[in-house]
Amino acid sequence: MTVVESHISDNLMQNDSAIQNESATMQNQSSMQNDSAELILKRQSLIKKFSTTKDPDFIESCTRVIDEYFQNIFAKSKTAQKMTADGNPVALVALGGYGRAEQCVHSDVDILILFEKKLPKETDALVKELIYPLWDARLEAGYAVRTVKECLSMAWEQFDILTTMLDARFICGGSHIYSMLMEKFRNRLSSKHIQSSLSRLIEQSQKRHADYGDSSYLLEPNLKSGHGGLRDYHNIIWYARITADIKCRRDLERYGFLSHDEFQTMESSLSFIWDIRNMLHYITKRKCDQLHFEHQIELAKMFGFKDQNGHKAVESFMGELHSKMDFIKQINLMITEDIQLSKKARLFTRIKRATNYKGIVLYERRLQFDPVEIIPRQPDLLLKIFVESGRLNKPLSIESRRIVGEFAYLVDDKFRKDISNVEAFEQILSFSLWEFNVLNVMLSTGLLAKFIPEFALILNKIQYNQYHLFPVDKHSIRCVQVVNSFREKNGAENNGKGEEWNEKEWNGQEWNEKDGNPKNKDRNHKNRNGAGNLYAEIYRELRNRKTLLMAALLHDIGKGDPADEHSERGAQIARTILVRSNYASSDVEEAVFLVRHHLFLIKVATRRDINDEETAVFCASKIQKIPLLKKLYLLTVADSMATGPKAWSGWTEALLRDLFLKVMGVLRNRELATKTASRNIQKKKDEVLALNRTGSFDNRTDSFDNRTDSFDNRTGSFDNRTGSFDNRTDSFDYTDNINSWDEDVLVKELDCMSHRYLLYVPAPEIMTHLNLYKNLENRDFLWTISPHDDSDIRTITICGKDKPGFYSKLAGVFFLNGLNIVGSQAYSFGNNTALDIFKVMTPKDKIFENKKWHKAEMEFQQVLNDDAFLERITDRLPKSIAPKSGQIPMPNKVRIDNETSSFFTIIEVFAYDFPGLLFAITNVLYKLGLDVRVAMVATKIDQVVDVFYVKSVENGKIDDIHTQEEIRSAILGALPVIISC
Amino acid sequence: MKKIEAIIKPFKLDDVKESLNEIGIQGMTITEVKGYGRQKGHKEIYRGAEYVVDFVPKIKIEIIVDTERVEEVVNTICKASNTGKIGDGKIFVLPVDDVIRVRTGERGSDAL
Repeated sequence: MTVVESHISDNLMQNDSAIQNESATMQNQSSMQNDSAELILKRQSLIKKFSTTKDPDFIESCTRVIDEYFQNIFAKSKTAQKMTADGNPVALVALGGYGRAEQCVHSDVDILILFEKKLPKETDALVKELIYPLWDARLEAGYAVRTVKECLSMAWEQFDILTTMLDARFICGGSHIYSMLMEKFRNRLSSKHIQSSLSRLIEQSQKRHADYGDSSYLLEPNLKSGHGGLRDYHNIIWYARITADIKCRRDLERYGFLSHDEFQTMESSLSFIWDIRNMLHYITKRKCDQLHFEHQIELAKMFGFKDQNGHKAVESFMGELHSKMDFIKQINLMITEDIQLSKKARLFTRIKRATNYKGIVLYERRLQFDPVEIIPRQPDLLLKIFVESGRLNKPLSIESRRIVGEFAYLVDDKFRKDISNVEAFEQILSFSLWEFNVLNVMLSTGLLAKFIPEFALILNKIQYNQYHLFPVDKHSIRCVQVVNSFREKNGAENNGKGEEWNEKEWNGQEWNEKDGNPKNKDRNHKNRNGAGNLYAEIYRELRNRKTLLMAALLHDIGKGDPADEHSERGAQIARTILVRSNYASSDVEEAVFLVRHHLFLIKVATRRDINDEETAVFCASKIQKIPLLKKLYLLTVADSMATGPKAWSGWTEALLRDLFLKVMGVLRNRELATKTASRNIQKKKDEVLALNRTGSFDNRTDSFDNRTDSFDNRTGSFDNRTGSFDNRTDSFDYTDNINSWDEDVLVKELDCMSHRYLLYVPAPEIMTHLNLYKNLENRDFLWTISPHDDSDIRTITICGKDKPGFYSKLAGVFFLNGLNIVGSQAYSFGNNTALDIFKVMTPKDKIFENKKWHKAEMEFQQVLNDDAFLERITDRLPKSIAPKSGQIPMPNKVRIDNETSSFFTIIEVFAYDFPGLLFAITNVLYKLGLDVRVAMVATKIDQVVDVFYVKSVENGKIDDIHTQEEIRSAILGALPVIISC
Repeated sequence: MKKIEAIIKPFKLDDVKESLNEIGIQGMTITEVKGYGRQKGHKEIYRGAEYVVDFVPKIKIEIIVDTERVEEVVNTICKASNTGKIGDGKIFVLPVDDVIRVRTGERGSDAL
């Protein structure tokens, strides 16, 4: 509790009796030393006794020792006697844990020094007499000096003062003052403060759960403040005191707050937790309530746990502690529910209500078997009671839990294969929620490990690493919970805190139970477009969710054997389980895929370049189906969230979401990653390898190292053949397969190629391109020109160092030389190499074609290094254009599409065709700093549609609306004006 | 002594770590960070809803070395983390006044 020191004026000690006082002080000091020495001795003997025999009454005895101390010192106190004589007596009141008589080894001693109306001047002296010896005895003593009136007004102002008042216990002194305080306190409480106090109680405990986490799962639980800790039990006591003024723990049962069984189990759970807390205080020599790893092994030994059946002592010890704390948590949740319902209903309705299943009834708001003898005839009720529990949001009675555990032996293979049981289990999975976790109860009764025997492999399997906060079994159940939380819009955001991660809140966290508090709503509102909505949206779109839930439950099932790679092993175990449960084979395959690849996305997101289209295509090829991708994504998120804050942060979330959306984009366009595409790509690679092996690729004899030579040679051939390229022998130079490729090197090169390229370019051409690429060496570029049979069209393949403007400059040079472009494709090759393919119409004058090519090549070399040269080309573009007569002219149009691709902004230009159109557009793009990655040119009636996949050199895709507008108007500005005839 | 702070792409961490190991760099501190420079964030669209990545996830590496090793370390990081694309990151070199090894109280280069 908070220590509130009262304000006592400094001049309480009067000067006139200084000498007298001094001698009194000396006397006092010696007596104080005796008192504190006695206290120390008594406590030491108690602690010693406890450390050897685990005295069950330790906390009461500790309290009694301190009570005796106060009573002794008070009896001797001259100051107190003087106060009484002056008509202003004092009462000593124990508060907090000391008030409840639950004093642990290093608990605070909280005391209230109470006066009726005003504080006498001797107060300071009294405090010294009472409190200093406690400090000398190394006890953490906190005191408050107050009048009755102050106590009352403060109780309604500060909640922690209210709760200490609830625990107040009279020690000695003027008992009538204490009674007066209590009477007034009760009157005021019951007349107007009950509802507000209860609301504060719930509010405080929710905040505490968020701060300290759930002790029933955490590997390093907080024994006092965590969910399931002692504070949860205090809440129950406080609730009972506020509403019914109970006097002691036993009254919880007498007044009907808890059933007899519940009370008994609570008592044994509490004494276990208290014992551990006392021992922890004892060995750490301080008030330490967090059970860290370093003390667990020692404590397990002290409490007599032994290694057995392959389980370590510390695992059994923590397992038992978790189950005790889980129980405290469960009754705390029940009581919280009572408080929330208290406006509507009375505590217990003593009527048995029927449920959906005969043999299961609701009694005193707990589910029970009725009659119990029905179970051997109808063992399926063992599962069905959990279905009802989840459906009605009502817990099993303590007795029913015990019965489930006892009858769990009835679960055999026939039971597991029964279709109605499999369906019941699916329902249970979908009912596993934060507020109320049926699966956890099922786990603690042992039924889960009976229904899925493989689950026994991971029971209480503690993972000693810095990522995992939970044992594997609890982690798996949490993973199911997170998946279910996606059902709620913003559910995951409350749980996962979305972008605004707060490690402290997370620290083991109990996710906020209800969406009720306004702070949460604000946050959700702010993150309207945050990830929480995305998860909810994806979850809603899923049709068959049972495979996702099963995969969530089983994803780590392979961790039973640490020697194996757990994903692969887990996939095999999952298959056995699902086949046994008669799942359809498609469902089995899907769930097994999810288990096997549950780490795939997170690995790719953190270890691969997600801004490279190939990464997304790689994932898409592996996953293939959109629904499967969605499930794998949700499973990945749930797994990470359920692991702990080290595995899940806004950082990881951002990477993973980005990857998911990009892979989604690739799958949605169904172009590069379909099964057929993957097959075709593999086939293409094999073809290239075969070409390389057999050397069947046109291995021409004349190869040239010197480019000028090659042109001379070709010029000759042109002259002779009147410009026709029908004989291919001399048309190639740098594409020659001088030496065939080393196969390993070739495989590597092929693996680096983009899917888009491999899909669309035929194998012989790939070989040509590869050779061109190999021969590029240190040159700026290399090109090769090949004819199409008997046509005026030439294909120019250019390989060069990729620089901004490479593509637009090529288009410009062709335009300058009157070479009309009819089609083009642009690819990237290897590291920073551009590979562009242009189809152009030959110049009218066939005789001098080669000279023209030669000139174009020189000019391209020039323009690559000299942007000013571009101006000369721009000047030649037409200023206006007239469509054919008789047609209504259509305006030029530019469409910018940012949705189709995650990696490029797609710009579509609708315009009338004219020589230089491609240059006009791409030159604008170049000047705006945009890099053209893919270009497609097509004619539609007489309007042309040119499509460009662009990226900004600085910034990737162009998201900014203003920049988009700038691009649009710049392109339109560069196009000739349309004149109607 | 200098402190070298490098912001790199997350998937390049292993490469950078390995190449630093090869030149004998013994220790480093890494942090998961988010931010933006010239590579601004971007938007992804899912069913009409925009998901904005305004701060791009990166890794920050911090290393303290003797002044004469700075060039070598900087070059190594540059080489290992370069993809030639936007968002490859930045490296900062800052002066360091002193280093103290807590366990022994050693100071300066001895404490590195």
